Amino acid sequence: MNKVITINLNGNAYQLEEAGYEALRDYLDHAARQLDGNPDKGEIMADIEQAIADKCRAVLGMHRTVVSTPDIKTIIAEMGPVDDGSVGGAGEKTGDSAGAAGPKPAGDAGATGGPLPKRLYRVTEGKMIGGVCNGIAAYLNIDVTIVRLLFVLLAFLGGTTVLVYLVLMIVVPVADTAAAKAAAFGIPATAQEFIRRAKEGYYEGMKTWGDKQAHREWKRKFKQEMRSWKRDFHQQMSENARQWRENWRNTWNRPPHPPASYFVVLPFVALLCTLITLLWLVAFVSFLFTGAIFGLVLPGVPWWGVLILLFVAYQLAVWPLRAIKHSCRYGAPGWYPYSVFHGLWDGIMGLVVLAFLVWLVDRFVPGAHEMLLNLPHTLRHAADSLQQWWSQK
Amino acid sequence: MSVDEKFSSIRKGMLEFLLLKIIAADKVYVADILKQLSGTEFATQEGTLYPLLSKMRREGLLDYEWKESEAGPPRKYYMLTPKGRAQLRETSDYWQKINATIKGLGPNSA
Repeated sequence: MNKVITINLNGNAYQLEEAGYEALRDYLDHAARQLDGNPDKGEIMADIEQAIADKCRAVLGMHRTVVSTPDIKTIIAEMGPVDDGSVGGAGEKTGDSAGAAGPKPAGDAGATGGPLPKRLYRVTEGKMIGGVCNGIAAYLNIDVTIVRLLFVLLAFLGGTTVLVYLVLMIVVPVADTAAAKAAAFGIPATAQEFIRRAKEGYYEGMKTWGDKQAHREWKRKFKQEMRSWKRDFHQQMSENARQWRENWRNTWNRPPHPPASYFVVLPFVALLCTLITLLWLVAFVSFLFTGAIFGLVLPGVPWWGVLILLFVAYQLAVWPLRAIKHSCRYGAPGWYPYSVFHGLWDGIMGLVVLAFLVWLVDRFVPGAHEMLLNLPHTLRHAADSLQQWWSQK
Repeated sequence: MSVDEKFSSIRKGMLEFLLLKIIAADKVYVADILKQLSGTEFATQEGTLYPLLSKMRREGLLDYEWKESEAGPPRKYYMLTPKGRAQLRETSDYWQKINATIKGLGPNSA
């Protein structure tokens, strides 16, 4: 026993088995997707529905009221994939008839009934850089803003994200054919709307055969709506992209170049920063191993309190230096999001200063040379004692 | 690759020409067209035909009128416009030229 679904094909009711209904819906979905952008989409869809209705009627007889799933499959196979010959050349060609039908890539498989397989593509409509975020959003069926935010957040945390994006940009193909676009989105939104309306008997208007005036009026309105859906969709996408680009420019690139003073002041600031960090590290390690900061015991303060104090003191010492860095980078005080490139520059400066300090210590502090040579051993020893302490707890 | 596959894009491009010829002979509806093409190399399906017909109508090559049928809803009967007829003449001439070119090139027996 199979569930039966009643559908409205161009103003006629037909009863289909559930699986048949699914297959037909997929077929019509795909057809609508293929015809996206065709000014006669509404009319062609009506024609196709009418043709399917005719075939259904031929199948049904006095004692059969339900169109079976194999019947529907045969009908879909008979109809053949809907391909919009004018996809290739958007501009209307009237003169030469030889190429007017527009050669279409032969690889447009999967146009027949079956459900659309979803694939990850880059979606370049409304893209920011390479359409990777857009493609991921389409694939996961979530808002593109969320994906972009995630990417930007991750880019702040580590430059690897930028690398990942670049790799995706190279590896993931662009959805350039209509079929690929459909696969990128799974079931397209507009087609879904189309089917929803079909189910709600939106095509009732087609029943007004007798009254030509009313029929024409209905057809005009239908076409208008089709066009406005499409327009709205495109508008939304491009508006979204525009806004993003603007935000990007505002936060990321202001001002386009840091003033020259930034590159002069930064080494000194970086020197101080690194010194403070080293000091903090030594204080932290000495507290862990001796329970006192440089021999200074804080009475009555629990160990975690000391750690918090250390952390706050470090932040307090570093904060004005950071403020100086920012203000000389942007020429004016104020907070702007940290940029990846400046972060890299900061990191390199920090490393250079650290190396320089190590070299200085090695050269001028007596006994430091041996200590540095013994550093790997010392570290291993420290790690061992830490492990012991941990397993004792 | 078989000859059939090699010529698939050419067949596709020529479909419009054939439609002009078929419709020029008589007012027809889609099932008629499909039937006339069914035995030939150009056998095609509704999924291809409807979009192509609507494109040709948009280009002003053909028009249709609704006609009642004995059984079922009214049908669209297609016919050529003057522009469509002109296009058919032009395309036929062009086709003759192509034929002549093919005959003229290479060994004569081919």
